[in-house]
Amino acid sequence: VPLAEARAALPADVALHARPAGRLVREAARYQATIHLAAGGRRALARSILELLALGAVGGTELVVTADGPDAEVAVAELATLIAGLSDRPT
Amino acid sequence: MVGLVLVSHSRQIAAGLADLVGQVAGGEGRVEAVGGAGDGSLGTDGAAVLAALRRACARGETLVLMDLGSAVLSVRAALEELEPAERARVVLADAPLVEGAVAAGALAAAGATLGEVAEAARAASHVAKL
Repeated sequence: VPLAEARAALPADVALHARPAGRLVREAARYQATIHLAAGGRRALARSILELLALGAVGGTELVVTADGPDAEVAVAELATLIAGLSDRPT
Repeated sequence: MVGLVLVSHSRQIAAGLADLVGQVAGGEGRVEAVGGAGDGSLGTDGAAVLAALRRACARGETLVLMDLGSAVLSVRAALEELEPAERARVVLADAPLVEGAVAAGALAAAGATLGEVAEAARAASHVAKL
């Protein structure tokens, strides 16, 4: 089964609060792959907003995105791009 | 998209939680918030719960989240009043209200199925916060 990994840092002024975490969940749900985000020794299922929020990731934190499944490569690439471009404003 | 019905003893809790769910859902959520007794005091209003359930069912599959045990009684009573076709679209979540609604709302906005959304709410009991 394909396993893929990518890294991306949150923008300096964007912590992983409710709005950006919701954005990540919606993106993660588009893929068949099971996607995880890790930071600071914690790991969160990307489809679980509660787990994402519990990462406690502040602005500038580097997140490690891993995915397992048929579309894992594109999933980690797209998630990493989204993370690096996250905004705390309504989208 | 799966819709949510939030039933609280407090109108403010229900309304505030609907705002929070709307934020995580990126404005794409379908949420009915119902809270408080008919006179605006703390409690649950069976008629208001039934009306919210009917509005939600008219739009599609629906997950119901409740704050405390007696809200469950109000919801169960309202379910008895629904048509069978409406009742078939409703699932009750055995979940903490705030965490369950946020988890369910985020996934519902992502287009998840009722089963997935209900499971996300149920699993909210076990997600560590600290």
